[in-house]
Amino acid sequence: MELFTYLLLSGLTTGSLYALIALGIVVVNKSTGMINFAHGELFMFSGFVAWMLHVQMGMGYLPSFAIAVAIGFALGAVTNLIAARPMRNADVVGLVLATIGLAFVFRGAARVIWGGKSDYLSFPPITSPDPVTIGGVMVIPQQIAVLAGAIVIMLVFAAFFRLTRAGKMMQATADNAKASRLVGIRIDRIYMLSFGTGAAIAAAAAVLMAPLTLLYPDMGFSFFIKGFAAAVLGGLTSLPGAVLGGFCIGIIEALAGGYISSSFMEVSAFIVIMFVLVLRPTGLLSFGKLRQV
Amino acid sequence: MATGQGVKGAAIGLLMTVAAMQAVQAQVPGVTADTIRIGSFGALTGPGYLYGKLPMNGIEVVFDEVNAAGGINGRKLQLVREDDRCDPAAAIGAVKKLVSEDNVFALIGGGCSNATFAAREVLDQAKIPLIVMASVHDGITTPVAPAIFSTALTSTLESQAQLEYAISQNAKRIAVVSMRDAWGRARYTPLMEAFQKKNIKPVADEEMAPDANDATAQVLRLKAANADAVLIVLYPKPAAIFMRDAQKLGFKPLAIGQSGIADPAAFEDQVGSPGATTLFRTISMVRYTPEDPAVDKWRKAIEAKFPGDRLSVFNLFGIGSAEVMVEGLKRAGKDLTREGLVAALDKLTDFPTGVYGAGITCTTSDHRCNKAPVWIAKEPGKPVRVLGVTKVE
Repeated sequence: MELFTYLLLSGLTTGSLYALIALGIVVVNKSTGMINFAHGELFMFSGFVAWMLHVQMGMGYLPSFAIAVAIGFALGAVTNLIAARPMRNADVVGLVLATIGLAFVFRGAARVIWGGKSDYLSFPPITSPDPVTIGGVMVIPQQIAVLAGAIVIMLVFAAFFRLTRAGKMMQATADNAKASRLVGIRIDRIYMLSFGTGAAIAAAAAVLMAPLTLLYPDMGFSFFIKGFAAAVLGGLTSLPGAVLGGFCIGIIEALAGGYISSSFMEVSAFIVIMFVLVLRPTGLLSFGKLRQV
Repeated sequence: MATGQGVKGAAIGLLMTVAAMQAVQAQVPGVTADTIRIGSFGALTGPGYLYGKLPMNGIEVVFDEVNAAGGINGRKLQLVREDDRCDPAAAIGAVKKLVSEDNVFALIGGGCSNATFAAREVLDQAKIPLIVMASVHDGITTPVAPAIFSTALTSTLESQAQLEYAISQNAKRIAVVSMRDAWGRARYTPLMEAFQKKNIKPVADEEMAPDANDATAQVLRLKAANADAVLIVLYPKPAAIFMRDAQKLGFKPLAIGQSGIADPAAFEDQVGSPGATTLFRTISMVRYTPEDPAVDKWRKAIEAKFPGDRLSVFNLFGIGSAEVMVEGLKRAGKDLTREGLVAALDKLTDFPTGVYGAGITCTTSDHRCNKAPVWIAKEPGKPVRVLGVTKVE
């Protein structure tokens, strides 16, 4: 039972990170129909911005967090402006290449700006680094902070979508872009808002996780792949699905590593995804119709 | 009149000899009457800069010292740097550029193992002498390439040393946690062979991904196996995650790293959990820590030439390899050729550099010239200290 508890907690913590990344991917996809392949690099870049503010410049954690999220939003908007918007009428390959190209630009910029500081940059935890015992289980307080922070971000985001005018317009655009345009919604702004919001969520995830994951310029892609897998598992247009997918992948990885073999950890989640997609191609929580290609 | 003609004839003869010598010299790439151009490739940007840019800074201060003393046989040393970004394709491009465009005489370089290994074919074809400063991939020096010498340790030597060290510390239940990518395999496979040779079976053999963010599963499995020593074949990031989670779960074995984690002070910061690295030991290629008074000279030189930098072990990697290059160039003589340099390096026997764990010895059949891994550790709140040297055969 102790083994299961530890593995479950470990899976939930890692899963919350995957869920946040997946959430950002789904927000963009749901509103614009595009996958932002620079999402992982936006996550990485925002983490470095927070590190620069908090560690190098000595700014407090919360202001650093807020500024990093704001910069994340701005970078997302820039991604829309220079990679997505000009390619909106291009074919899928063009759209994919545009965001992949931008991902390389962000990675290159991070290598030049922060690549000479250390191999892996450490980010001080917001909690005590000493493990504590909760209900007989040893945990690192930062893990609890990450889990709690991720849940708060998800709730804030859900409230934004349901309660704010901008959130409702994003939902309307996601449901039917043409109809939204007819009722006066400025679609271009909504697309920009979607890219910005997706990147802001990635930024929040990066700042939360940096003390646990360390920072390095090449980290973006591997996180993107896990987040993308979570989004696919949950259904690429379902926000609750993205969260569920993230937690599922985190927990499957941990349990497979603990009970089967650590060599099986990396592939286990993808095997489950393959089975799920064979049985339910739209993902766990997406109820949209399949389009025949 | 006859005397005048004789002087004239002698002068013409001398001029012709000098011209002929210059013509011969001109055929040696990168060598002029007063300079020798040496190329270097490694990561100048990105996380791999520790194994590229920093050793190159070390090379540069050695060259400055040599140049200030008049150079080698009247020739000053010039260093030309190329960024390979730790990327195999970029390393091939960097070597080609140094050889074809920059026309360097020889190379000291190679930071990231996979990148340097990828460039081996180009290096072999160019027949340009190379002293490897930091890359440890066995394939770079085995089978022997006539012009490639390594003052870095190799992955096989380090893997053997890890197991030897665990045994020397009376470990009875030895486990392994490793990455299985190309870098990890280059160490994991010889490590398993070393286990087999000693007729020991690891009590647990766990895997971690290079980008792993949690090691709870691995730690719990190693703890269940009751391991008293863990050989760590991981990059600093997964290793830091592993050590942090081991601390969290109350698992405190002797943790034995390798030169991929060559800076225990930075590693302690990366782990970020007080006391988690108390039993961590790792391999350094050099026998001094940056704080050691024995390297005061280099500390001052690095800080003077690169304001804001502090001497690191990675600088020392470059300093050692540059000392070997300088010795080779001296022994190759005034009529410098690449073949002469290779022949001189082939004859180095127990050459005492100021930094490595033992003297540098190269032979025509073995260009792994450094076989003395140095063990270092850092206790919390204390500086890094040298524990000893393992000589691997």
